[in-house]
Amino acid sequence: MNKVFRGFLLTLLVSGLLALAGCGGGEQVKPQPTPGGDAGGSVITHDQAVALLKNNPIYFAFDRYDLDSAARADLQAKADLLNKYTDIKVQISGHCDSRGTDEYNLALGERRARAAYDYLLMLGVKPAQLSTHSYGKMYPAVQGNTEAAWNKNRRDEFNVGY
Amino acid sequence: MVSYMNKDKAIRQRAVFGAGRSFSRPAGRFVLPLLAAWVLILLSFSAVFAAQPENSPQPEYVPQGAGLQPSLNQRFLAPVGPAAYQVQTVMAEPLGESLYKRELHASVEHNLSYLPFMQVVDPRAVPGGTLLGSALGEEIDFERFRISRTDNLLTARWVDEHKVEMRVYEVLEGKFIFGAGFEVPDAAAVSGVADEFCAQYMEALIGRGDFFRSMLACSKSGGPRKSDIWVVKPTGGDLRQITNIPGHAISPTWSHDGRFIVFGHIDERSHALGVWDAFTNNLQRLRFPGNTVIGPCFMPDNKVAVSLSDGRNPSIFLLDRDFKKEKTLVSSWAIDVSPSVDASGERMVYTSSRLGNPHIFMTNLKTGETVKVSNEGKYNTDPCISPDGTLVVFARQMGEGHRIFAHDLRTGQEQQISFGPGSDEQPEFAPDSYFIAFTSTRAGSKKIYLTTRHGGEAKPVNTGAGEAAFPAWGARRR
Repeated sequence: MNKVFRGFLLTLLVSGLLALAGCGGGEQVKPQPTPGGDAGGSVITHDQAVALLKNNPIYFAFDRYDLDSAARADLQAKADLLNKYTDIKVQISGHCDSRGTDEYNLALGERRARAAYDYLLMLGVKPAQLSTHSYGKMYPAVQGNTEAAWNKNRRDEFNVGY
Repeated sequence: MVSYMNKDKAIRQRAVFGAGRSFSRPAGRFVLPLLAAWVLILLSFSAVFAAQPENSPQPEYVPQGAGLQPSLNQRFLAPVGPAAYQVQTVMAEPLGESLYKRELHASVEHNLSYLPFMQVVDPRAVPGGTLLGSALGEEIDFERFRISRTDNLLTARWVDEHKVEMRVYEVLEGKFIFGAGFEVPDAAAVSGVADEFCAQYMEALIGRGDFFRSMLACSKSGGPRKSDIWVVKPTGGDLRQITNIPGHAISPTWSHDGRFIVFGHIDERSHALGVWDAFTNNLQRLRFPGNTVIGPCFMPDNKVAVSLSDGRNPSIFLLDRDFKKEKTLVSSWAIDVSPSVDASGERMVYTSSRLGNPHIFMTNLKTGETVKVSNEGKYNTDPCISPDGTLVVFARQMGEGHRIFAHDLRTGQEQQISFGPGSDEQPEFAPDSYFIAFTSTRAGSKKIYLTTRHGGEAKPVNTGAGEAAFPAWGARRR
């Protein structure tokens, strides 16, 4: 493992643990992986990889399914983990905020899941490790009709074990 | 419930109604006074009509049945506009004795309250009350009903404990409009008799009685991660659970023969097409490649249009009668969902984001010609085309939620027909192309309401406790 990549994984691990710590109450901390960070000697274990994949959704703009730079960086980190642990299978589930209508949101959620799926394939992840699913607006991550809630609900989740 | 009058009309009509009354009398003779009243009412709406071009297309639909009140027929299926005149109907006290007479009277009154063009007159407004000496027209004193400005008089006479004759008279001239006899074997049959009488009464008035012979399927919440398909009469009652499987059963659609309900099913692993067969009570869950099944819609020939993933985008496919992929109906670079097809099977409306935002499009399935239907707003979804192919209703996102709009395909006119509060979504035309069921959060949680193509006050459908959404009309099986 080269120095740069180890640094990147260390940063990712710290970010992920911070995010996990934040689950108990306040807003989740969204990891911002910075490839090329400080070199370190830590190695992400299988369990840590699973936790990192599960606890870091990517987010979308209203009625959009294109990947912004933050989402692409997150997916790069996930691709690294999936390429390292090829036994891990992930179901990418697309979600929407509560403002749209049910059927259109199911389609939009499918497009969001598919966007992440296609990007991960491009980064070398095996198709057999991935599947997609859309829940539309059935399962909001955050309740409420505020911009902040909507921002957190327009997302892809990465469910491990499918 | 048996409508014994209908078994052998020629004999029964004479036997039951006697006095030379015949169902085969030309119906138009009985409604001239009411027709005159209609003309006056329509003249009062002249300002509305004056705003339309003189050569505005007239409704092409010719109602089946008696066609007793042509002006009402035209208003019934006219382009979008305000609700028209209300027929003032009074229900006489039922005559004769039966355990079921009060219940049937109440059931008919309840049913009539769903007709926006009908108002049941308070009996206290009739001088001398509504107790008649006879149910036969020539023996009825119509004067007191004229004084109370009643249009129609309904009478019920119980021949014995289990048989009732029901008649409707036009009050102004005391003319017989319609009558039928029914058997009521037990209390459970009462609501069915009320439904059939009201269906026949509606047919006599406007040529269509489908509303009282229809059912609604819907998706009812069974907890935070579960919803199932239920059916209910549009007037409430006969609420019945159809599915009970883990996950969400949504977007039901009813085959035109009433045999199948097909729906989208979403569990933790996949989307699927749920198929319930009323003949066998069997339930199937069919998966498709791409793991996307959204918004199925039965075609008139019992095939199904549904959004499936083609590996790139949700596109609309045609499934054959075995629910296997037959061909692609609509595909674009973007999202194409929520197909709805008219009774001819020729015109299909759907939501597409091919121009960026979701809008309503219509494709002629014979010619392939596609037109954009919605022109205002930035988020138009949930389209439904009326079975007669004249109107498209859909949900438009507004500042405070979604609202239902009706787009007239003949004139291009568009009119808002729901006004919240909350969010109004998933409009679905009844088989009569007049009533519309939709989902609304106006009372807090999602519930189903009824309105008409003219809009007007929405009436809730009693679906019991819990949220209810995705209304879909179907014919009641007999």
